[in-house]
Amino acid sequence: MERRNSMARTPLSSVVAPRRSRSKSYRRSYHSCLGAASYLSLTSGLTARRLTTSRRAPKSHSITEKVSPEQLALLVKKEWQLSYVTPLHQFRHKQLKSYSRQLQAFIVAERQQGLAVGMEGADSSFRVSFSVLQGMVETDDDAESVFVQIHSKPVFAGQEKPMRSVWSGWLACISGSPDYLRSLPEDFVCLPLFCSSGAEWLTSLVKSWFQRMFDCCFGPLEINTTNLEWLVALWTNCHSEFNIQHLKLMWTLPVVPPLEVTYTLHPQDAWELWRSIREDVQDEEKTEGGRDTMAKDGGSICIEEVMRFMQALKCHFYRHFRVDLSTGRLDQVSTALGSAKHNGKIKISNSSYMITTLMLLTECALLKMPI
Amino acid sequence: MATSQNSSGPPDLDSSSPSDQSACSRSSNRSLRVAEIERRKNEAEDPFVLALKYFSDVEAGTPVTGNDDVERNLVAVERVAYSKGLPPEAISIMLEFAMSLRMGTSPCVRVLKCLIPATVVPQEAVVRAVVWLCVGKIPLSTQVLFIKWVLTMFDMIDAKDQLHSIYGFLFSFVTEENLVCVVMILLHLRLFRVRKLLDLQSKMGRQPFLMHLLSLYKVFCPELVTLSLPSRMKAGFRNHNSQWKSALIAVQKKNSFQVTSSVSLTVRLKDKTNPRKRKHNHLEVPALSSAVNTQTNPSSSRKLVPLVQLHSFSLLLENLHHIELPAQMGSLLGSSLALQYLDCVQDESAFLRLNFWLGHALHEEFLFCSSGVSQNSEEVLQFLDRLLSSQHFLQEGFSSTEAFLYKFLNIWDGSLLRPQILGMLSNIPVVPSSCIRQLLFEPLMQLFFTSTLFFKCGLIECLNSMLLKWLTWHSVYALEDGLDISLNSHTSINMTLSGFKDSLMELVHFVGRLASVGLQIEGCHSLLLSFILDFYETVCDMFLKYGLPLVVMPPAGVFYPALFATDPVSVDRLAHIMYRYKVNLMSAKTQEKQTEQAFHISRQTYREFNHYLVVMVNCLWNSKMFQPGMGVEMEEELLVSSKVPQYWSSFDFIHHPAFLSYAVDFHHKVGHPKPWGWYLEYLYAQGFEGLKQFVQSNISRRSTAGDGQGDGLSADQR
Repeated sequence: MERRNSMARTPLSSVVAPRRSRSKSYRRSYHSCLGAASYLSLTSGLTARRLTTSRRAPKSHSITEKVSPEQLALLVKKEWQLSYVTPLHQFRHKQLKSYSRQLQAFIVAERQQGLAVGMEGADSSFRVSFSVLQGMVETDDDAESVFVQIHSKPVFAGQEKPMRSVWSGWLACISGSPDYLRSLPEDFVCLPLFCSSGAEWLTSLVKSWFQRMFDCCFGPLEINTTNLEWLVALWTNCHSEFNIQHLKLMWTLPVVPPLEVTYTLHPQDAWELWRSIREDVQDEEKTEGGRDTMAKDGGSICIEEVMRFMQALKCHFYRHFRVDLSTGRLDQVSTALGSAKHNGKIKISNSSYMITTLMLLTECALLKMPI
Repeated sequence: MATSQNSSGPPDLDSSSPSDQSACSRSSNRSLRVAEIERRKNEAEDPFVLALKYFSDVEAGTPVTGNDDVERNLVAVERVAYSKGLPPEAISIMLEFAMSLRMGTSPCVRVLKCLIPATVVPQEAVVRAVVWLCVGKIPLSTQVLFIKWVLTMFDMIDAKDQLHSIYGFLFSFVTEENLVCVVMILLHLRLFRVRKLLDLQSKMGRQPFLMHLLSLYKVFCPELVTLSLPSRMKAGFRNHNSQWKSALIAVQKKNSFQVTSSVSLTVRLKDKTNPRKRKHNHLEVPALSSAVNTQTNPSSSRKLVPLVQLHSFSLLLENLHHIELPAQMGSLLGSSLALQYLDCVQDESAFLRLNFWLGHALHEEFLFCSSGVSQNSEEVLQFLDRLLSSQHFLQEGFSSTEAFLYKFLNIWDGSLLRPQILGMLSNIPVVPSSCIRQLLFEPLMQLFFTSTLFFKCGLIECLNSMLLKWLTWHSVYALEDGLDISLNSHTSINMTLSGFKDSLMELVHFVGRLASVGLQIEGCHSLLLSFILDFYETVCDMFLKYGLPLVVMPPAGVFYPALFATDPVSVDRLAHIMYRYKVNLMSAKTQEKQTEQAFHISRQTYREFNHYLVVMVNCLWNSKMFQPGMGVEMEEELLVSSKVPQYWSSFDFIHHPAFLSYAVDFHHKVGHPKPWGWYLEYLYAQGFEGLKQFVQSNISRRSTAGDGQGDGLSADQR
């Protein structure tokens, strides 16, 4: 060891010695590439962080036991616009009260920009409340979800009129990739999924407050065709326990003028088709050698089943209308459980099965993380 | 600083550079002085300097009309003002000239209009001008113009302490009704001023500008202003004159590029020259602002200094250990001072924050954004240039750019923002050899073979600088810890020296493959060849310059095209490269003997080198081309049927296509009996240093006055 050491040193000593003082940053150079590789699965991340090919079939009742019905009521029957958020720096669940005050002050200040004089009682025209959605987690690595609500009084309303909610939003992480979550340093809180509903200007104010406060970044989260197809399958799979009432799919076909196709199925038909495909696939797997049969017995759904299900639906449509839906883009999916749109709007109508949906969305949001 | 003041300097030292004394020796002082004189001479001839001199010296009462001097000098000043902006001293001179009305009022307005500062406006100049204003000879319109100018340039005045003390004077102008609306904004809050304003309002009625000032006051001091004001007021103070503003912006824009490239010391606050609001503004560098979220760390009782408040490097040094990071780490990218700080902190989460922001911006702009990038290329360019200059400043790439590039290379067309992308690519840190192929080589290979010659050259250049950076990292790193990288316990790095060598070897071999095929595709284009030889100039010196026990020879696809190149420069460089290979291998060998250790350089490398060397000596020196056992072999019949006389000598120093013209030239100059040695000397005199090194190190010539060709010595290493 000693010898090799001297060998490496001799030719260098004259050239590099003065640079010694900068050594720290060079160490970091190594660190930032290789450290990060192990650290945030940077290089392996390209292959590792993919959509999973197999999911647990949705189960009801788990959520209603954990989360209080009042809080669940806040989440359902509202259309949420989805965004992804990079991990929040120095976010503390214990300081939500102070965040409420600060965000309130921020909104009021931004509101008054351009107005030189403070309006009388302007600071009481908004009320912001942060709260924890207790129990909205799946694994121990998930951070508790946070709900933000902004109440306001209409400008011309009288004193006695109560404030009404004008904006609400929440940050969640449901069963996020444990490798990713554990790789983050302690002062980061990862709540990658941001859902908002309310006036656009308030959304952007809240976002910019979060950006300044926790040095995070927001970006739009759209739900691509594959993920919508996953939702179709996951929701259809619920029909045995919960009547999904209808399965409605909307496609946009790239023709001029654009052709929109709305494809509504009777839930029982969809369910029959789904069940037959499930049985087919599982039979095949059993004949192949029965690998992983434990997971397959109704507990999980694999991507292959989803693809076959969609293919069957498209074939059926083609047989009747001679229109090949696979050339188009799946834009919207809706059942009695909820609806999801390609542009990242989601509505949850029934909270029973929402965890599965949110797991999928969390996964999408984590895929969008820059590192 | 003062302690090191050295009094031994020559007494006739230029008084303008006393601070240089300590540092410089006598001789460098002289050269400084020469440079100074030279600079002054240049300055003396500069029309701008002449013009300034004219305006500072011109006597009062000089007529303007028909005075060509004034016109000429004024034009000179205006040209500089609108192109580069005026330096502070020029502002002083011109403002003094204008406000003193030395040549009457007519040039005054024109001068005021062209007072575009390049950097700052000296406070003294403004104060003096205000003094002139109080003399009261200046026409009202000019007064207004001046005050508007002060307002526009207010942010660029270097200090404001004296200005604050003359606010009283400024306030007196409030009563002048035409001036009132522009003076207002300069004023600070004082009780009596508010009273006066209220009086004034009762006199003049509700003038919008008065209302605005009052409303401003009300914000700061609500107890003084009790009257109710309408809550909505349109268009407050127009605090700038658009003409000046646009000229100022133009000048700043022009200068800002130089500022970023030279990485100035001052904190660059966010420039607000971007009035157009983009819909998706991912690439906006956030403003440097202090953290709001600080109460989260109550344990640290000492006072933290926000980075925003530090304006010089010395301040940064003083407060180095209690600096508060900004609210948004992305803002560091806009400030070189902050980057300096970043360079010395070892805060993992600070880096992570910066990388989250940067990665997000790059991903949103180039990967997720469906609308395409080309439409806002101006901003993209600016952003990437800033990013590159930051990386250049830190001498390393950010890990988020790395992650971004791995994705982006797969969809890149090779032409979009090529210099910037290649610049970022050259900054990426060492990639482990296990994934280097998938992440880097495959997309690059596809791009290389489907793109133009210029892309190929650019890529080779980029890979060369990537290699250089890796090597530099290695050399510093290996030296610092004095041990194998793997033995370094205080970092979480698991790359060993052999791992590093593997990555490096992969890279060199990859470039070798690219180069071989690229040269074939492009018909051995000499531009491409030149870039490739650049690369091998780095490769051949890896052992001596960077202490990496690794020697990789160029593939035949590079060696032969360079050897048979039609331009002498390539052959010369090849000779230089071979010479350096020899020096490196020799010293590796001696070290191996000294340390008696199994060495890392394989026998195969020596064999390859010897083979190339034999080929080169045989070809250039011994005129033994096409002999069996050499790299290039041809059938005898084929060579004969080509009817080339003495085909075996067709690539020696005389007949080589690259040197033929030199041989002919030499023949014309020297005449018939041409000694070989003379010809060589002639070639060396043409600047072929590489050939000289190659010949001198590899070939020992028996007879110095040899008439024939000296016997080559194939300098076998073993």
